[in-house]
Amino acid sequence: MALSLENLQTRQIDPNKPLLEIDDLVMRYKIKAGEVSAVEGVTFTIHQGEAVGLVGESGCGKTSTALALLRLLPANAEYFSGEIRLNGEDLLQLSTDQMRARRWKDIAMVFQGAMNAWNPVYRIGDQIREVLDTHYRGELDVDEQDRHMESLFTAVGLPTEMIIRYPHEFSGGMRQRAVIAMALACSPELIIADEPTTALDVIVQDQILKELKRIQRDLGMSILYISHDIAVIAEVTDSLGVMYAGKLVEYGPTAEVFARPRHPYSYLLLRSTPSITGPRRQLAPLEGEPPDLLHPPSGCRFHPRCPFATEKCAIEEPPLDEIAPGHRVACWNHEDVPELAEELRR
Amino acid sequence: MIKFLSFRLVQMFILFVVFLSIVWLLLQAMPGDISDTLIGSPEIPLATRLELRARLGLDQPLFVQYWTYITNFFKGEMGVSFSRYPKDVSTVLFEALPRTIVLFLSATVLAFWMGFKSGKLIAWGRGGKTEQVFIVGGVFLQTVFYAWFAIVMLWVFGFYFGWFPIGRFISVALWQGSGFDATDVFEEMILSVFIVTVIYGVVRYFIRRYSQNLVTEQRMLRGTLALAVSGLFLYWYLDPARTYVADIAHHTMLPVITLGLVAFGATMLITRSAMLETLGEDYILTARAKGLSDRVIRDRHAARNAMLPVTTSFVLALSFVIGGGIVTETIFSWPGMGLLFLQGIGVSDIPLVAGALAITGVLALFGHLIADILYTVLDPRIRLT
Amino acid sequence: MATKETIRLESEHVDDQLDTTVLEELVRGEEVTATPLWKIRLRLFRRSFSQNWGLFKESKMGMVGLVIIAIFGLMAVAHPILMNTVWDPLVYHPVTGYDSVVTEYTIVEDGAVVDPLTELELSEARFELNPSVKVGELVRIPSQPAPPSLSGEHPHFLGTDPLGRDIFSQLLYGSRAAFLLGFVAALTTVFIATTVGSIAAYYGGAIDGFFMRFADLILLMPLLPLLIVLSAAVRINMVMLGVFIGILSGFGAEAIVLKSQALSIRVKSYIDAARVAGGGDRHIIFRHIVPNVLPLSFLYMMFGITGAITLEATLSFFGLLNVPMSWGIMINTASTQGYLLSGTNYWWLLFPAGLAVSFLAFGFFIVGRGMDEVINPRLRAR
Repeated sequence: MALSLENLQTRQIDPNKPLLEIDDLVMRYKIKAGEVSAVEGVTFTIHQGEAVGLVGESGCGKTSTALALLRLLPANAEYFSGEIRLNGEDLLQLSTDQMRARRWKDIAMVFQGAMNAWNPVYRIGDQIREVLDTHYRGELDVDEQDRHMESLFTAVGLPTEMIIRYPHEFSGGMRQRAVIAMALACSPELIIADEPTTALDVIVQDQILKELKRIQRDLGMSILYISHDIAVIAEVTDSLGVMYAGKLVEYGPTAEVFARPRHPYSYLLLRSTPSITGPRRQLAPLEGEPPDLLHPPSGCRFHPRCPFATEKCAIEEPPLDEIAPGHRVACWNHEDVPELAEELRR
Repeated sequence: MIKFLSFRLVQMFILFVVFLSIVWLLLQAMPGDISDTLIGSPEIPLATRLELRARLGLDQPLFVQYWTYITNFFKGEMGVSFSRYPKDVSTVLFEALPRTIVLFLSATVLAFWMGFKSGKLIAWGRGGKTEQVFIVGGVFLQTVFYAWFAIVMLWVFGFYFGWFPIGRFISVALWQGSGFDATDVFEEMILSVFIVTVIYGVVRYFIRRYSQNLVTEQRMLRGTLALAVSGLFLYWYLDPARTYVADIAHHTMLPVITLGLVAFGATMLITRSAMLETLGEDYILTARAKGLSDRVIRDRHAARNAMLPVTTSFVLALSFVIGGGIVTETIFSWPGMGLLFLQGIGVSDIPLVAGALAITGVLALFGHLIADILYTVLDPRIRLT
Repeated sequence: MATKETIRLESEHVDDQLDTTVLEELVRGEEVTATPLWKIRLRLFRRSFSQNWGLFKESKMGMVGLVIIAIFGLMAVAHPILMNTVWDPLVYHPVTGYDSVVTEYTIVEDGAVVDPLTELELSEARFELNPSVKVGELVRIPSQPAPPSLSGEHPHFLGTDPLGRDIFSQLLYGSRAAFLLGFVAALTTVFIATTVGSIAAYYGGAIDGFFMRFADLILLMPLLPLLIVLSAAVRINMVMLGVFIGILSGFGAEAIVLKSQALSIRVKSYIDAARVAGGGDRHIIFRHIVPNVLPLSFLYMMFGITGAITLEATLSFFGLLNVPMSWGIMINTASTQGYLLSGTNYWWLLFPAGLAVSFLAFGFFIVGRGMDEVINPRLRAR
């Protein structure tokens, strides 16, 4: 089977067909002191060819969710309930070997701090070759592998001479591109990009994001972006999910969520960066600290920090309900959010 | 590379001269001299003892002695052994040197190989009873009083179980009248092993380089190893000296195992720490995400990186192994350089002792160099420019 | 000497490194008493110490090691007490004591000895006592080394050595010797290594180069042979040995390690801050770098003690030290009197001493490892 980027372009995508369905995923870490509730009932769907973003503070569970998709969580993590369906198949039910076969080939990952994703003692090319050897054993000979790697490098804008170099000979931005190249190697259906631009300067950031966007469109892949940087997410995603303390509190089309954030947390998050263009607005600060997931707050997990919290918020957890087509929010007071926000500004 | 090597060799030379000088001066501080061993014998008159001193040049001023020694040394002469007069030091030492090196090398290779393997496995295994046992065992081996440990080993396996001979290099009774010389047979043994190892190494390199398929590669490597070992055995089986070869081999085993066990403990612990640190690195997570098998992640990614700090610790361990070698040779009556060194000290045979220390110094320096070169081979981030 | 000063501080000069209590007082616009610096230091030290102690307690290894060291410490302390109270020095002194333990033997025919500890051959009995003894007679022969006995006028818990001295007493005395040596060696090493490492890291350049080359030279020299030569040249006692080991180790590997640690501290910003504030070189080195290098130094001190104890035992075993009694000497005695390969027949000659050295070294080593877990958070089990 000849593997080349041209093959990928002929992929037919149906934007309405779900690729990855995360259904009520619950995941907890076991530590000496007890159980940390890291991911609590997260539900959303990534469609074919769709770019989805997950935002939230550090520790809100977005990276845990991402790792859960590939079943890469550390040994002390337990999948309590829920399903992760890739093209209908529940990944959590697969055996270790079956899952291993799907890793990288169906879902690939671009890691946080991707600079260190490379083993310093082997050449970049050899590490990419490793993936080809693992997933296309016997199907590609060495020359075909070489040609494939060259096309990958070209696709991300790296000179092909660098394939035989060591990671320390690459600059930060180049390493990031190389990571993307490796992620594409087995033409996966979904790429998870965890903080793909952290630790890069803004110019390189911009380049990388444009690159990803282009690749995604050209090759018809879905991408899941994980970031705490809303600006990044806003630029490249079609849909957006906001996570807080292990829960998904808002989800919808990016433009919609940005224009009309209905969860107090999303609202405060999106309004916490001043805009250069647009009218001068009072900054609404987010007070307090993220909750201790060992003993999470009762009711809505955001209520201790929520400026609009009511009595009900401390007692009962709000469900993630659809308030507009494709737009879901988990808040008792979501209708009042714009009004309450105005009051805050005064 | 050439520039580095030449610079390094000059450095080594200077260090060596300083080392040798310090050693020699220290030895001069030893009270008395070789002629004192004759004091006990009343028939030997004072004049004879004085003449002995003169003949050995011991009545010359210190600086003259020093200068003579150093200049002679670099002409290749290490002087005459006072206690084994008139044998000169080079002859005596070079006869014993191969034995010490074999002890050394075998123990180190064994310890490193087993230590690295087990350290790698228990670090990967993540806890459990086995890990605890190994750690405690490793720490015990590392801290046990070595002299005592060697005595116990000798007593248990040599005396009580009788599996090994009680020290010494050969069973003298066996060899009498056989027409074979122990040193010659030993040298032949070393040579044969060396040649086979080199050939094996070369073949192994070529297999790795040109293999297309991981599975056939493993099979070929294993096959070559089997071939090498059996070839060696066959060669010696057909040799007329085979019982004597077996005798030497038999005598070598227990000292090597004893020294190796202790070095094994240390290596295993260091490998484990290095592995644990490596396993926390990002590229391990990437490797898992790539869908690689556990074995590949553990060996090709983690262990390969863990090798780096282990190699560094090697250099430090060198000093220990040298000391350990002396104790081993004493307790097992193994006629190597360490034993000569100790005996020389006992009778103030300065040239012999100085010579032994000099050779040890040279070996240590080269060991250091090899470790540094090895390190650059293993870590592409470090180049010798 | 601290002086209490009353300072009136204006709100613009709030120094946010002060205690929160001071801050509160400031906000209220009141007068503020500045706590003397040494008191703050002491409080911080005590707090970090109890924190670290809590962490250390978690490590099973460290605690076991501490127990082992405590046991040996008790032994060391017990010895002079016993010598001055219960024990008769003529019998129990580890070096000069003597007890002729009399063993009862039944005389048997030549070649019919089943248990050499209670039966004696006829010819040998005739040789030892008088030619008229007969088979079946019960004879009493004074013999060393004697096996352990709890009864009699002078109980010997671990028997006596070939020269008639009580093994248990020797064991306890050896504990004192070991601790003395261990601490002298380790303290010397730490002192030298810390100083060298800090200075080298701070000044860099030629000074750094010199110390590192020197350390290379030291690394080159194998410790045991060098000490053997040294002991042949000079009569060395315990303290001297400790100092020698300390010097030789201090300039070597430990200096290199501590230098890297000191380097990582030197590049921290508070060093620059201190320099800008006018701190002289010596002040910076000793007040800032050294205290931060010390935890690592103490860690290595533990390992240093381990090495020193084993080194001394080995040298004593070779009979090279001018030391009256130590565990190594005990084994040396057994060796020179020909009991080395006696195995279980005369186990009390070899095993108590050998195990003592091993266990104490083991104890210090695992305490070191326990400390390692405190200092290196990566090694902690979650």
